Amino acid sequence: MSAISIQSVTKRFPNGFEALKGIDTEIQSGSFTVVLGPSGAGKSTLLRLVNGLETPTTGEVRIGGEAVDGHKLRHIRSKVAMVFQQFNLVDRLSVVTNVLTGRLAHRSWVGSVFYLFRQEDMGIAREALSRVALTDKAWSRADKLSGGQQQRVGIARALAQRPKVILADEPVASLDPVSSEEIMTLLREICDRDGITVVVNLHQVELARRFADRIIGMNSGKIVFDGSPEQMTHSVLHTIYQREGIEDDNSLDMALAYA
Amino acid sequence: MNVHDLKSARRQAEPFPPKPRNPAPVWMAATLAILWLIVLDLDISFEALAYGVEDMAEYFGRYGNPDFTNLSRYLELMGITLATALWGTVFALLVAFFLAPLAARNFAPNAVTYRIARETLNFMRAMPDLLLALIFVAALGLGPLPGALALGVHTAGFLGKFFAESLERVDKGVCEGVASTGANFPQMVMYAGWPSIMREALGYVLYILDRNVRMASVLGLVGAGGIGLALHDTLRLFDYGQSAALILVILATILIIDYASAWLRGRLG
Repeated sequence: MSAISIQSVTKRFPNGFEALKGIDTEIQSGSFTVVLGPSGAGKSTLLRLVNGLETPTTGEVRIGGEAVDGHKLRHIRSKVAMVFQQFNLVDRLSVVTNVLTGRLAHRSWVGSVFYLFRQEDMGIAREALSRVALTDKAWSRADKLSGGQQQRVGIARALAQRPKVILADEPVASLDPVSSEEIMTLLREICDRDGITVVVNLHQVELARRFADRIIGMNSGKIVFDGSPEQMTHSVLHTIYQREGIEDDNSLDMALAYA
Repeated sequence: MNVHDLKSARRQAEPFPPKPRNPAPVWMAATLAILWLIVLDLDISFEALAYGVEDMAEYFGRYGNPDFTNLSRYLELMGITLATALWGTVFALLVAFFLAPLAARNFAPNAVTYRIARETLNFMRAMPDLLLALIFVAALGLGPLPGALALGVHTAGFLGKFFAESLERVDKGVCEGVASTGANFPQMVMYAGWPSIMREALGYVLYILDRNVRMASVLGLVGAGGIGLALHDTLRLFDYGQSAALILVILATILIIDYASAWLRGRLG
C-alpha cells in the first residue's frame, strides 16, 4: 500500500517561479526514500506539500488515501511529522516541552496552552527522548544544545507525534559528518523498527547510496530518476545534477568524480 | 559557468555598473527649508525667549523653599498614583495579551480578525490618555479608578502593537516547526509565539509601567486622584513651597522606578 501518493502536482509561486512541473509518484508504506537534486530543483517544495506547509497549484497529494487540504490540516499533520534543516525548535522552551509540542494535535487547547500534559503524553515524550539518547538533557533549554543534539530533539518531537510518515528536509545540511551519520542512522532505525515511512531530502550522494531503499532524482521541478541505489550510475548522477544550457560542465565532472 | 570563464573574468576587470543616485542631500535640504518656513509662518521669535530668561528665573526662584511638613500625606498620595499606574498597566497587559496575536500577520487566523484587532489597537492608541481620563472622570466621578482605566485603554494600544510587531518577527522556521505538528491557533501562540518574545515583551511592559507612573502623576490634574490632584490644588493656591515638595516627591519616585526597571531589565537580559 502506498503511504504517500502524489498525483500530477505542479507548484507555481506568486513570483512566477515554477518549482514543480508535474510530479507523479507513489511512496510505499514503511520505505526509506531519499530525494536528490541540485539546489532549486524543488525537493523542499515537494516535501512541504506533503505536510501542507505549501498547497499545490494543481494536482493532489494523498496520505494513506486522504487528500491533504486546508480543512483537515490538523488531522493530516498529526500523522505526518516534519524534521527541518534548521531544526526549528522553540529556543527558549525546554527540551521536554519541545518534544511535547509533538502531542499538540492530539490534545485540545484547554490544558496545553498552560503547558499541562497528561501522564500518557509525558510517557510518550520520555520514550521519544530515550530513543534519541537525550534523557539527561530533558530540562535544558533547547538553544543550549549542540546542532546534532538539537536535530535529535527535532526527531524526538516527530516521534512524539506517533506519525505514519516522517519527512526530513535536508536534516543533515547544517551538521558535521559525525552528527550527520548519527542522524541518518537514527532515521533509518526508526524506519526499520517502527515501520514509519521516511522521506529525506539530501545533498550528499554518498549518504543517499548507503541509507536509501529508493532514490528519487529531481532536476528543475521534474523527476529525472527513480530507482534503487544500485541503479544510480555515474551517468544518472550527471542527469540529476546537470545545469541548464551548459553542455560541457567541468565543475559537474569535478564534483561527481568521487561521488 | 565553468572554471575557464571564472579565470578570464578575473583577468580583464570590467567597469562597475552605473552608480545608484543618492537622494539624501536633497531630502536634507528640503527638510531644512520646511523647518525654516515653519519658523516664519508661526512667527516664532527667538528674541522673546532671550528677554524672557530673566522673568523665568524669577518665577522658578519662588520654588526655592520646598515645604515638607506634610510629607507623610504626599507619600500616601504618591502611593495612590503608583497603584493607579500599576492597575492601568495590568489592564493594558491583559488586553494586549489577547489582542496582539490576532493583530500579528503571521499568527492571525484570518484577514478579518487581523484587520479588526489591528484597528482596535490603533483606535486605543489614538485616544490620548488625558482625554480618556476627562471622559472617565465625567462618567465615573473623581478618583483613581478613571485614571487607571484611561491609562489602561491608551497603553493597551501601545503594548498590543509592540507585542504584535515582536510576534511578527518570530522566526518563520520556528512557526513552521510548531505548525508542522498540527498545532491550532491558541497552541501556536503559546508555543511558537510568547516563549520566543518573552524577553522583549517583559522589557515593553516595564517601559509601559515606567511611562504610566509618569502619566498618572499628570492625570491627577484632570481630577483622576493621586498626587497630581494635590499638585493641581497647591499650584492654584500659589503655594510654591508645597508645590515644590510635591514635584520633588514625583521626581524622586520616577528616578527610583527608572533605576529599578533598568536593573530588572539587566537581570532578565
